[in-house]
Amino acid sequence: MSTRFGFVRREGTIHNLNPAMKLLSLTFLMISILVYPSWVLSGLLLLVNLVSFRAARVPIRISSNRVRFLVIFSLVLLLFQIFLTPNGTILTYIVPKIGNIGPFIPITSFGLERGLSISLRFLLIVFSSMLFISVTNPTLLAHALTKFRIPYRYSFALVIALRFLPLFDMETNLVRMSQKSRGLSSEIGGLKKIIRTIRYTFYPLLVSALSRVETLSLSMDGRGFGYRPERSYLQESTWSKTDYLVMALSVGLLFFCFLLALGMLPELSAIL
Amino acid sequence: MLEARDLVFSYEGTQPILEKVTMQLHPREIVLLTGPTGSGKSTLAKCLSGFIPRMIKGDYSGSVFIENKDVSDLLLSEYAEKVALVQQDPDGQICTLNVGDEVAFGPENYCKDTKEIERLVESSLSSVSSWHLRNRSTHKLSGGEKQRIIIAAMLASEPDYLILDESSSSLDPKGTLELRDVLVAMKENNLGILCIEHQLSAFLPIADRILQISEGKVIETPQNKTFSADIPQKSSGMIRIENPEEVIRIENTTFSYGKQIAVNQVSLILNRGDFVALMGDNGSGKTTLLSMIAGLLEPSIGKVFLNRKSISSFAKREIAKRIGVVFQNPNHQIFERTVWKEQVLGLEVLEYDMEENLDNAKNVLDAMGLSPYSERNPFSLSHGQKRRLNVSSVTLHEPEVYLFDEPFIGQDADGRRIIAEKMTRRVETGGICVVVTHDPTFAREFCNRILFMENGSILLDGSPQAVQDRLQEIGKPEYTAQGGQSE
Repeated sequence: MSTRFGFVRREGTIHNLNPAMKLLSLTFLMISILVYPSWVLSGLLLLVNLVSFRAARVPIRISSNRVRFLVIFSLVLLLFQIFLTPNGTILTYIVPKIGNIGPFIPITSFGLERGLSISLRFLLIVFSSMLFISVTNPTLLAHALTKFRIPYRYSFALVIALRFLPLFDMETNLVRMSQKSRGLSSEIGGLKKIIRTIRYTFYPLLVSALSRVETLSLSMDGRGFGYRPERSYLQESTWSKTDYLVMALSVGLLFFCFLLALGMLPELSAIL
Repeated sequence: MLEARDLVFSYEGTQPILEKVTMQLHPREIVLLTGPTGSGKSTLAKCLSGFIPRMIKGDYSGSVFIENKDVSDLLLSEYAEKVALVQQDPDGQICTLNVGDEVAFGPENYCKDTKEIERLVESSLSSVSSWHLRNRSTHKLSGGEKQRIIIAAMLASEPDYLILDESSSSLDPKGTLELRDVLVAMKENNLGILCIEHQLSAFLPIADRILQISEGKVIETPQNKTFSADIPQKSSGMIRIENPEEVIRIENTTFSYGKQIAVNQVSLILNRGDFVALMGDNGSGKTTLLSMIAGLLEPSIGKVFLNRKSISSFAKREIAKRIGVVFQNPNHQIFERTVWKEQVLGLEVLEYDMEENLDNAKNVLDAMGLSPYSERNPFSLSHGQKRRLNVSSVTLHEPEVYLFDEPFIGQDADGRRIIAEKMTRRVETGGICVVVTHDPTFAREFCNRILFMENGSILLDGSPQAVQDRLQEIGKPEYTAQGGQSE
């Protein structure tokens, strides 16, 4: 399906990075931009993120409904902030002065900055998570996490979540199609109708997911899952020099953002 | 020998499903187990594979012996080294993203060393003729390939007995024949195989023994017993409508998922009175074509017309009034909390007069054998019952066109008869039925037209006799009533 969402198998530097390192870097990145919510920094990191998609040869599919929704949602976030933040220097007005009427709804520097900060951070968090999922082999991730003494039952929960993402994605499409075929449409008039629309979507998905869970647990336990506290691995993850370098960069970013947030780098905070 | 002695089981607070079941499965034999929907076949499979009572709780008594040793004390993981279960839904059983990883999963759990794991992966994949798939992504496999990989994954733990619970239900005739060959090869390797099947005919030729389960008891059935056909027999002749009127026209349509073309330049006219069997291998584009006919997918190229007007000009509800679609998975198309509410959902959504249609709704539900469950949650029904509820609720307002995607999966003889009668009536009263099916006998007995698809195109279109004769000629005997599953 064109909307498939999940690991994209490729050979390349980004794909070959250690999966646990990628997960840690993703976490550090998210903490960094939450600690120091600057739109300039978020914008720069988003750019790096988009370049990484390209470098990893993972298609981002701007045309897909999901990406389009995310971009539109971030624009809505931006506009909301612009409309609702009256303080700061007034740059221009959305409705200009016509004769004696107006001007209305000012766009202020503070509103614009805040809007950009929220929408860019939203896009960064979502796109970097998408990149992580696209370039991380869940099986290797499971192995990498056991190196951190995380019991394999927990690391496999993550593997299974990633394995089933594309399947649930496909099932959501099928449920939508079957709603359409029955003449059911998403209704938003009143709380009752909204709840009904949600139920018509989530109910079949939940039931389908639960039946899959039962099948899967029989299939895994039927192959000795949980036989011993440890298990062996055919494919093992490794740490390379590049991994240490990327790890150092993401730890550096985290420190840097803490220093910026604490006001210890005033010259840089003025630019970023 | 795997042996069940006096097995009794009931899910808590319900009637016993198994009542003193005693049966044996020897190494190097294939045993076929059959019985109507809800007769306890899957429950017996779960008892024999150790999940009952270890993982699934209920009132259980009796015991299972392996090589004459009571195995009640074994942990599930220890038991699983001896007996493996392959379930119906291949997608739900795969837990990794790569074929090699999936097959290695069992040996990894049993802490085998890397060399041994590699050996087991190679031997298991080779034994199901799938070594060439070892580096493939699991989600890119066809249904048949997935089912073979699951069998290989089970074999990698080196069990002595293998139980297959309706594993062929999602396979096309080619996949079923391949599975049959795999089972024969595994039997040669000393495995004892219990095969639970609705579609008996495909597996009869390789079975050493046949067991039947009914009212909680398992009885041996003589090999030479003639089984009632998998599909109901039809009394009337082929339906022919004079001066057929066009209802659906598809003009040169193409549909692709990303770069992959699913339907390629298909043109088609469906007239009143057409009873069409849409056949072809898994992945040949049948479901995509069906979705385009129903206006659910818009073709990338070409147009679909309903009653000579572009289908995209119709509102969703207007299409739903004219076309009723039943999809493959019943869980995706049940929306309400009780069977009755689900039954009348269409009337409500499409704004039909509820009072006027109430009696009809009750009668149809009754004819489907679902009246006793009208206040039950539809998701608590069996797979076969859910599908009958889908058919019943989707067709209650009598749309002109029925589009059914493999409606017979999981149906016993009664269920098949009910659905087949429903379709026949629609065609006889001037409607259209398009049924995706792998059953050549059904296509020949009931339909007046077969569309055979290959790689997204319509390879053959004509009367069942003509199309099946041609299929025989071009080396696809599995799709004909003579060479296929219903031989």
